Amino acid sequence: MIGRRADVWLGLVLLAFCGVAGWWTLRIPSVGTGTAAGPSFVPWIMIAGIAILSVAMMLRALLHATPAAAEGQGATSRATLLRLGVFVVLLVAYAGLFLSVGYLTTTIVVFIAGMFVLGERNWLFLVVLPAVLTGAIYFVFTQFLGVWLP
Amino acid sequence: MDILQHLSAVLSLEVMWFIALGTLGGLVIGALPGLTATMGVALLIPLTFGMAPVAGLNMLIGIYIGGIYGGCISAILLRTPGTPSSAATVLDGYPLAQKGEAGKALGMATIASFVGGLFAAIVLATLAPQLASIALKFGAPEYFALALFGLTIIASLSGDLLKGAIAGLLGVLISTVGADPISGVSRYTFGLPGFAAGLSFTPALIGLFALSEVFVQLEKIVGDKIVTLKVSGRWPNRAEMRESVPALLRGSLIGTVIGIVPGVGSGTASWIAYNEARRASKTPEKFGTGHVPGVAATESANNAVCAAALIPLLALGIPGDVVTAVLMGGLMIQGLAPGPMLFESRPDIIVGIFGGTFLATVFMFIFGMLGIGLFSRILLIPKRLLTMSIVTFCFIGAFSINLNPVDLYTMVAFGVLGYVMQKFGFSQAALCIAMILGPMAEANLRRGLLQTRDNVLEFVSGPITITFLVLTVLSLLWPLLRDLKARRRMAEQPN
Repeated sequence: MIGRRADVWLGLVLLAFCGVAGWWTLRIPSVGTGTAAGPSFVPWIMIAGIAILSVAMMLRALLHATPAAAEGQGATSRATLLRLGVFVVLLVAYAGLFLSVGYLTTTIVVFIAGMFVLGERNWLFLVVLPAVLTGAIYFVFTQFLGVWLP
Repeated sequence: MDILQHLSAVLSLEVMWFIALGTLGGLVIGALPGLTATMGVALLIPLTFGMAPVAGLNMLIGIYIGGIYGGCISAILLRTPGTPSSAATVLDGYPLAQKGEAGKALGMATIASFVGGLFAAIVLATLAPQLASIALKFGAPEYFALALFGLTIIASLSGDLLKGAIAGLLGVLISTVGADPISGVSRYTFGLPGFAAGLSFTPALIGLFALSEVFVQLEKIVGDKIVTLKVSGRWPNRAEMRESVPALLRGSLIGTVIGIVPGVGSGTASWIAYNEARRASKTPEKFGTGHVPGVAATESANNAVCAAALIPLLALGIPGDVVTAVLMGGLMIQGLAPGPMLFESRPDIIVGIFGGTFLATVFMFIFGMLGIGLFSRILLIPKRLLTMSIVTFCFIGAFSINLNPVDLYTMVAFGVLGYVMQKFGFSQAALCIAMILGPMAEANLRRGLLQTRDNVLEFVSGPITITFLVLTVLSLLWPLLRDLKARRRMAEQPN
């Protein structure tokens, strides 16, 4: 578990989210539904609840501060964060190109790039197996399971 | 007569093939550390879209039962539970493997999972229809109170009450995206037609439970080679079997009871069963040193949870644990709403699920016993290849339901959200279950207020509503009282 200090930052992020969500909720048109509980009734309760609990979480973190040594427990290293960031960008690009470029090309490229990011350097595992696996998965899904893939 | 007809549908070759395939797939998924039964079910839901409901749903149940059982394999051979529900199995399973008795440990785990699963399946088939007949009398206030109870118990059981509650509230808020259930007004759609019917639930599930796990694995993948222990033999001897019978029965009962309570799950059940087995044993000192009844207790309990968790899902529409919450997605893509009405409108599905649960348990036993010698090989699949294959399955799964690329972005976004939640101690299960129960709670609250013309006292006046509301308050107070008690005990101790 990451240290309590992170909870203060998380609380601030959640409060900012509540602010944005509140702004969006104001834009929900109010229509007569025969009850005081309109379309924005439940969203407002949820936003208020998240805001109150976020403040409570921050207060708890501030009042029960953990020793500095415990703060770093479970924290992610900068290299891992970078790897995660690259991976997320790769997946967003995969999502963007999946339909337009097609499953086979995008998947082979993303598979190989992903294996590289994960530290694979053996060419058999880096290139050959991803290509074979991607083709095999395509064949099984389209021919046996009737799934349409672009 | 009808029941026999519905059961014969389950016994068709096609359905049995899918159940066997699901159970075997679940076993492999569960065996691999980092892949959970929840992930397996979430990933394979889209595949069931084109199948007949009984075949598709039973395949998912097979994955669930096989997945929970499979967790014991790496717990025993690697000292790393394949799924969180097998964490307690490590205590006696791994020491047995170290003594050269891995086969015996796996054999006992297979027998225990079979006994626990069968016991709970019998309870499922007898109790769920009774519960559903009571739930048929529920109106909007009762359903609202039931959904509220489901939401609070899940938040309160997620370890950190505050974070569990925040995750739950966020889940309900996310569930409001799309058309308002009463007026039809669009909420948070930002003019995007893809959001008009709400966020696609299955891609969100895949992201939350499968893709987020890929991100977690990214931190752990290193070049180390996996070394597993050798497996030989499979049967415990007669004395060990006799000694394990009380632990087996107690574990089955504990798992069944815990499975019925929404939100608790198989992990808790196996720890409680282990503690109870040790407490009731004449030789408690043997537990933790490679004692066969220890494995019997944990594995019978965690597999009993599988069938038992289906009871609240089918009878009340409230998932018993996180896997059944994901399974609900499987029912939803078949156009089925779990709950008491399903017993009236589609008895074929209900009987099919009962029969499928029995069959999956039997297949699990057969595959378990036959495959003991091969188990150590499952664990040798290269991690990097496995991780990237999961990414591919995630994308195919999220895309294949609606053939909509927006679903891919939804999945990636929920994958990141799931990872961040895991990292900072927020319960993904609470978020997921809130996304399911949120619409039920909102629609029934507003419908009830409409019926009573905003008279809150009239809304909460029914005895069933009051009972559920009292249970809601108790479930919120319970963790607070537990913490207070623990703090007092700590303060009373001299050092």
